[in-house]
Parts: sequence; structure tokens; C-alpha cells
Amino acid sequence: MSRLVGAVVLLLLSLNSNISIARPVSYTGGVTLIEESDRQSTSMLVHFTPAHQWSIGLRGEHNRDQDYALYTLHPTWLAKRWFGANHQGNLYLHGGVGVATGVNRNPLGEDIAAYGGVIADWETRSLFASYRSRYLDAGHFGAQFVHAARAGFAPYIGKTGDLHTWIMLEIDHRPSERISMTATPLIRFFKGPVLLELGYTLSINQPLINFTYRL
Amino acid sequence: MKHLFVISVMALNLLITPTAVSEDTKNSDAHSHPDARASESDVGGDNAHHHQSHDAHPMEHSGDAADPKSQPTLTRTDEIDRALAAGGAPIVADVLGVVCDFCAIAMNKIFGDQPEVAAVYVDLDTKALSLVLSPSSSLSDTVIADLAVQAGYRIAAIRRDEAALGVAL
Repeated sequence: MSRLVGAVVLLLLSLNSNISIARPVSYTGGVTLIEESDRQSTSMLVHFTPAHQWSIGLRGEHNRDQDYALYTLHPTWLAKRWFGANHQGNLYLHGGVGVATGVNRNPLGEDIAAYGGVIADWETRSLFASYRSRYLDAGHFGAQFVHAARAGFAPYIGKTGDLHTWIMLEIDHRPSERISMTATPLIRFFKGPVLLELGYTLSINQPLINFTYRL
Repeated sequence: MKHLFVISVMALNLLITPTAVSEDTKNSDAHSHPDARASESDVGGDNAHHHQSHDAHPMEHSGDAADPKSQPTLTRTDEIDRALAAGGAPIVADVLGVVCDFCAIAMNKIFGDQPEVAAVYVDLDTKALSLVLSPSSSLSDTVIADLAVQAGYRIAAIRRDEAALGVAL
């Protein structure tokens, strides 16, 4: 199983990611692997949850448009969790500090990079909504603000351990980009410890591929 | 853009603070209003201590007025049946916020690691945590509530033995 997971992760990274969204804090002692790929970058985050309110991880991100990579220490704090018999809502603050370094013969060298933002989500077994934002200062590589909102529904309700399927639409806004707003319809598959999202960003013809594995 | 980010963070702080106060007030009320069990909240950081002490009394707001016939009973799986056959004691806990398999995994891991627990299953349909203890083991309500917090969730009510099996007393 672990070899299969490793192969899938390598495959996804070889395609093309960004701000963590799916369960950035786990149970106490839990480890989670999150790969994300969007219209601009590909990222990999491995985080450990020492206590149920926060996690700490190592994150790498490759910005394909600007040919630089970020390597950061990535903490996430669960600021608030709303519980209900049929719903759960979460508000997270996330951040990162580390280095940005040029790749693909980018002559800009290295610089210190830091980012921070919020992630909020609310879901039942059939409805989902989320918002996430990040402001990144990558030194001489530049700065960027990104935020995105997502809504989705489950066409059927599966039992524990079943394959759960979600249909979602994500609206992504990056004010500094030439095409600042994009829409990405996506489908989420969720079974046991594995979450896989496949989408397509319409206006710029880029795939969205997100993968999460919870150990 | 930096100004936008700073303003966003400040606005977020303003949003969080009054909400946390109102939710804590609701939790305090929960002790005297059983209906409050259907919706609770947790606040990270310092306020978590408040909730941990609150969890030390998980049955205080467990909804005594609820119809026992409508309460989830032990979910039967092969593992649970084996543990019952071995003489383990059944426990069912109603869990708040269980909406996905990651929630189930968290509780399976946390409770499954306890030596007192012989079998565990989280049923997304009933939002119930089913436990069967190892023979001659015990797990207090306080410990169960604390373990649920470690998993990231909240216990609304705990039933044991006949009540957990749905057998009329």
C-alpha cells in the first residue's frame, strides 16, 4: 500500500499546487500527506499534529509560472471548530516561513519567504463550502495574494468506508495575475484515508489535482 | 496588497473574538438545556482548557429527555461481535461533528490505540462511536470524552451495557 501511495504522489508531483485545504489539522499524533496542484503551482505538505488544535509540517512548492520553489516550515492552528450533530465547521490560521529559490536556471538565487492566511470550511454529509486565502512574500521573487472559495454537494451519502463522491466548483482570485479570476469544476473522491480531487481550470486550461493521505 | 492582508487579519481577529464569547456562553447554558447537545463549539488555544474541564462531565448535558428508542445503539461488525463474544463491555457514544471518513479514522486511531479497547467502529449514519472493552477493562466517561477531544471531536452522550445494546431495562 505504501509503495502505491508513493507512486501516486510522485506521479501527481510530476504533473504540476498551492494552499492546503483538506483537513490541515489531524487527530493528536496523526500524520497527513497533502499534494496540491493548481493553475500556477504544485506543492507537497507533510504535517504532524502534536495536539488537536495545531499541526506543524514541512512544505515544498514549485511555482511553475515564475520558476521558483518555496521550502517552508508550515504551522496551522485550528482557531475554532463548530460542532453539530450533522455538521462541522472549522476556522484555521496557517502560515509558513522558509526560503524561496530559483529553479529551471532562474538567476534570482535565493531569498527568505513567508506567507500566512486563513482557511474556513463548513460541511455536512451532503453539502460543503470553504474559503481560503494566502498572502505570500517571496522576497525578490515577488509577492502574491490568493484567495478561493468552493461549494459542493455529494450526489449520494455513503456509509463509513464507502467511496464518497463530491461535485464541487472552486472560484479562485489572484489579483496580481493577468487572468485574475478562474473557475474550476472538480470532483472529489474520498475513501478511508485517501482523498483525491480532479478538476480543470476552464479559462486557462490547467488541471487541478489534489491528493491527501491520512496516516 | 500588504495593507489588505493586515486589514484582513485584524478584521478576522474582531470576528473571532465575539463569536468565541457567544459560543462559550452557549456551552455554559448547555448544562441546563439538554437540547444544546446538538450544537457545540470548540475554541483553540487557551479556551481549550475550558472545554477540557467541560468534557470532564460529558453526561451533564447528554440530553436526559431524549427518547431512548431513538438513540443509536452498538453498530455490529465482525470485530465488535468477536469482542462481545469474548466478554467485553459495550459502549456507545454520540459524537458531534462526524461528517466524513477522516473523522472516523481519527477516532478509530485514538480509541484503537487504547489497551482497554478491544473493538471500535464509527458509524457515519448514526454519528455514534461503538466501543467494546477488553474483558475486565474499564474506561470512564471522562477518559472517553478526553480521547474524543484528542481526536478533534466532542461527545454528546455515552451509553453502556444494555443501553448501548438497545436492550430495554
